[in-house]
Amino acid sequence: MTKLPVTAFFKNYFKDFKNYDEVLKSDMSINPKWEKLLTNFSDLGIDELNKRQDDLDWLLSENGVTYNVYNDPKGLNRPWNLNLIPFVINADEWKTVEKGLQQRAKLLDLVLKDIYGKQELVKNGIVPSEIIFAHRGFLRPCHQIQYKIAQHLLIYSADLARGPDGRMWVVNDRAEAPSGMGYALENRFSIQQVVPDFFKEINVKQPFGFFKDLNDLLVNSATQNKENPTIVILTPGPHNETYFEHAYLSSFLGYPLVKGNDLVVREDKVWIKTLKGLIQVDVIYRRVDDAYTDPLELKGDSYLGVTGLLNVVRQKNVVVMNPIGSGVLENPGLIPFMNSVCKYFLEEELILPQIASWWCGQEKELEFVLENIKKLVVKPIDNTHREHIYFCEFLTDDEIEALKKEILAKPFRYVAQEKISFSTAPNLTKKHLEPRKVMCRTFAVAKENSYSIMPGGLVRVAAEKEELKLSSQKGGTSKDFWVTNDLKSSLKKRKRYHWHHSVSNSFAGIENLPSNTAENLFWSGRYLARTLVTARYVRMVLNQMSDAEFNKRESDQESLHILYQSITHLTSIFPGFTGKNKENAFKNPLKEIATVLFDKTQIGSLAHALFSFKNSYYSLRNLWSRDMWRVYDMLQKEWECFDKDDHENIPKVTKLLDSIITKLIAFIGLIEESILVEQGLLLYFIGLQMEFATMTIDKTRALLSISHHEDIEYEILESLLNSHESLNIYRYSFRSYLDIQNVIQLILLDKSYARSLKYQLNRISKDIFKLPKRTETNELTNVQKHILKACEIIENTSASALAKVDENKIKRADLDSLLASISDAIHETSMSLTDMYFNHSKEQKQLINQNHTY
Amino acid sequence: MIFSLIHKTSYKYNNAISYCHNLAIVKPRSFKGQELLDYQLEIEPKPTTFKENIDFFGNSVAHFSIEKQLKELTVIATSKVKRCYEEQNDVLQSKVCKETTLAEAHAKLKIITPTIIDAKQFLLDSMFIKNISSQVHEYAAVSFQKNRSVFEATNELMKRIFSEFKFDSGFSTIATPVDEVLEEKKGVCQDFAQVAIACLRSVGLPARYVSGYIETLPPPGKEKLVGTDASHAWFSVFIPNFGWVDFDPTNDQIPKNQHITTAYGRDYYDVPPLKGVVYGSGKSTMSVSVDIRPVKNDNQQQQQQQQ
Repeated sequence: MTKLPVTAFFKNYFKDFKNYDEVLKSDMSINPKWEKLLTNFSDLGIDELNKRQDDLDWLLSENGVTYNVYNDPKGLNRPWNLNLIPFVINADEWKTVEKGLQQRAKLLDLVLKDIYGKQELVKNGIVPSEIIFAHRGFLRPCHQIQYKIAQHLLIYSADLARGPDGRMWVVNDRAEAPSGMGYALENRFSIQQVVPDFFKEINVKQPFGFFKDLNDLLVNSATQNKENPTIVILTPGPHNETYFEHAYLSSFLGYPLVKGNDLVVREDKVWIKTLKGLIQVDVIYRRVDDAYTDPLELKGDSYLGVTGLLNVVRQKNVVVMNPIGSGVLENPGLIPFMNSVCKYFLEEELILPQIASWWCGQEKELEFVLENIKKLVVKPIDNTHREHIYFCEFLTDDEIEALKKEILAKPFRYVAQEKISFSTAPNLTKKHLEPRKVMCRTFAVAKENSYSIMPGGLVRVAAEKEELKLSSQKGGTSKDFWVTNDLKSSLKKRKRYHWHHSVSNSFAGIENLPSNTAENLFWSGRYLARTLVTARYVRMVLNQMSDAEFNKRESDQESLHILYQSITHLTSIFPGFTGKNKENAFKNPLKEIATVLFDKTQIGSLAHALFSFKNSYYSLRNLWSRDMWRVYDMLQKEWECFDKDDHENIPKVTKLLDSIITKLIAFIGLIEESILVEQGLLLYFIGLQMEFATMTIDKTRALLSISHHEDIEYEILESLLNSHESLNIYRYSFRSYLDIQNVIQLILLDKSYARSLKYQLNRISKDIFKLPKRTETNELTNVQKHILKACEIIENTSASALAKVDENKIKRADLDSLLASISDAIHETSMSLTDMYFNHSKEQKQLINQNHTY
Repeated sequence: MIFSLIHKTSYKYNNAISYCHNLAIVKPRSFKGQELLDYQLEIEPKPTTFKENIDFFGNSVAHFSIEKQLKELTVIATSKVKRCYEEQNDVLQSKVCKETTLAEAHAKLKIITPTIIDAKQFLLDSMFIKNISSQVHEYAAVSFQKNRSVFEATNELMKRIFSEFKFDSGFSTIATPVDEVLEEKKGVCQDFAQVAIACLRSVGLPARYVSGYIETLPPPGKEKLVGTDASHAWFSVFIPNFGWVDFDPTNDQIPKNQHITTAYGRDYYDVPPLKGVVYGSGKSTMSVSVDIRPVKNDNQQQQQQQQ
């Protein structure tokens, strides 16, 4: 093992890029605040460090830590990156930062109250009106809403970076729905797990107290001051860039994760739809942006919000955190006026410095900006996302002219800021350390008339050495953020992240399962079953094709044609092997089979079922265990990496299907042991069995409704049993030549065989009767009626009756019509289940009117 | 002049909807020259929740929900409004109003007073009138020059819209952009009002949208039919040191006693008479009728009885 002194790591540190650094001073000495960490670090040696970084990457990917980039060609769920070396701030310095953050949060809270209340700042000329009125985050419908809670700004986040004067500066304010605290927490857990050695003799403050404060805030802000308020986390859904975090906080805090359509407004209150019915919601911790929270009063085309929510807030029947409309604080237009605002409200100076900023709505400032534009960074007052920021030094002359024109058209919409070189910190790369620009996201939650600050936070690191813009979206990495003090103390006993939690239990139980979760579980079951049955069926046909090639019997050709057609019936991808298309498809069956397997756009294809499953799967990510992630991830990778050129290659496709089937089975097994019935496993089972039953019916109808010549019939029966994985059982049960009556008995009518239709139907029925009922009466629900009908039909028939062939010796009409009516009954069961348990409401529609016709 | 006003809106749904949340902005405002004497809002079926509040612009908004299956929704606003234009600041008599030039207006808008701060927000982009194009500006520039009176220029703008635009109720929807209306030169009252507002904002003048009603008169010798009036819209320009001045480009006139105001906003989006989100599938048909009639005052009625 190569063990090097600390300084060795910094040998060529400033080789390519020299900057103001957190660790290495200009005289090449090391900042003493970092010394202990770096000693612990170098003690591990470079090889071990690299190994640990690999472990860390692996752990994060295992834990499914991801973030999304909208419209990203790489698809959803990019892995989250965390660099092994933490970022360190000493507790003494942190004390000032903490005070500064508390002051700024307090101030912005007053600004927020003023903007939607008296508007003194504007009326007294302290803040120019356009900075508020022209900001798209200023939501007029929120004007004069009254709240019961003392503070309005409940969660606040600030991006800080160290300026050339050595102080931490405020770069951005985040107040709408600040993200990052979940990632910060996961970063800490991961670093503790992978490199406990780093903590040797260092006292690092833990963030758990902060999360307790967040939890207390959620509980205490309930308007009714209930003991067990119902708290939900509102997410826009799996496509949101920080969906991982929403799911993560949902698991960590123990509150259900819901989407807009899980909630409904009735009688001026907000309710969550659950299996049992509606339960009133007291607090919504929302991660949906302001404008999207209520399609009635805000953005009309939003499907992410809850219709009528704002009016419930107005009636003080629910608390939304942060209040709707707080996005107006994410406003660089305020920066030049913050000092005056601070004096106005608090009679104090700002503790944390801000970047020098010029609001273009003032004549002199505008002039200055236009003259010095090349040296400045220009941003709109209401869109501080990276893509809307102009780093003017990198713009061409034409781009500068275009920007100037834009500014001149609406000067009040722009702010220009001084370009500042923020500090760098060491980042571990393969061989050595490199300086990278860092930005620290810090977090505050309201607590007893002040704010509780998370010790540390989320540190984001630029992707490239000289990168100015910092963004997780652009592929940068992150760091754990340490606030350390000099007190000698060994690593304290690791606190577990538990606190007395009377709330989470109140929402457990199948009855309280949010309808949307229930629906996703139901469909997960259905898509999984469909995937498995389709894969097995096509694999069986491919095997038959190889056999036929080998045997070259005539009967094989005919039975193959029947099998091909049955694929079309099973998947409903028409015309496929039927109709006019028939002859063509028979000539080149592999082409059609490839469509059935790989064409995602065809509903019924294996690819489509997998894709649909993926959607339900991501929506449920807070339920899945780590092993499930791993198995699913392997399955997904294998499927996506399969070469397009091999789509018609029988051995390769068969091998792929074998492997997919194995993983599906492993996955199905894991679900059953990883999720509790109360968490909704029941719904998953109902979906799974329903799809199995439906597909058993479809297969049987496709293969057995028409009677064939003895040789062919034999082939068909064997294929059916094969695709059903039932050949061995058949041999065990009957020890006979394949016989239609026996096959029907086994596949459809056997009471105790788990793959028989009768067994499946009885199982569905049993599970359906375990679902919560809405009323106390003994009257059957529609769901129960429909499934009982299916069970009854199958109960009152016999193998001999079903095997009967009509006079023309062609059709088994009884079998066909009986299976058709069972299939209908299953469909009705599914529809009424959806109506009763999932759709407490119907689709939302904007009532558009053209009222003025004069 | 006292008017009795009935504004009835009904929706019929092909398939029953399971519930709906709505808001209605149909209550006439009170201000100097217009007084609301009586007002009732009838909703059928009976709403589950109902609450009135005052919005950012001072309009009265009724929030209501109907939380049961329904196939038909009817909203009837009945009011009695006393209109007395003579009590308002007389536009035509005021020198400030008639003579303030564009350049003077711009200068006065820079002074910070609560009235100016309030007026200036009507200079900014709004939901339906944003990113005002150069075409709009060019159209406005024909009438607006630095040293010309704002009143005169606005009056001319109104007349140009009245004569150059064709009233066509089949052309536009509430979402038709201002640029398209200007390009095609056709639309309905709210389009004309919004084109004018865009023009005024493009030359740096605060302009707001006014939603209300207009009394129509039957052709000479015929009796007035019930429900032939209409909900209506026009615009208002802010002249510093004087105040807001209304113009009706659909009828080429300065609104007086035949115009009744229900709401102000930045554009139609802020003040739709009725708006809602319904839960259900299928189509709906809407019908609106407005009836405005002068009410004989009590004295007159008594005299009639005595005769």
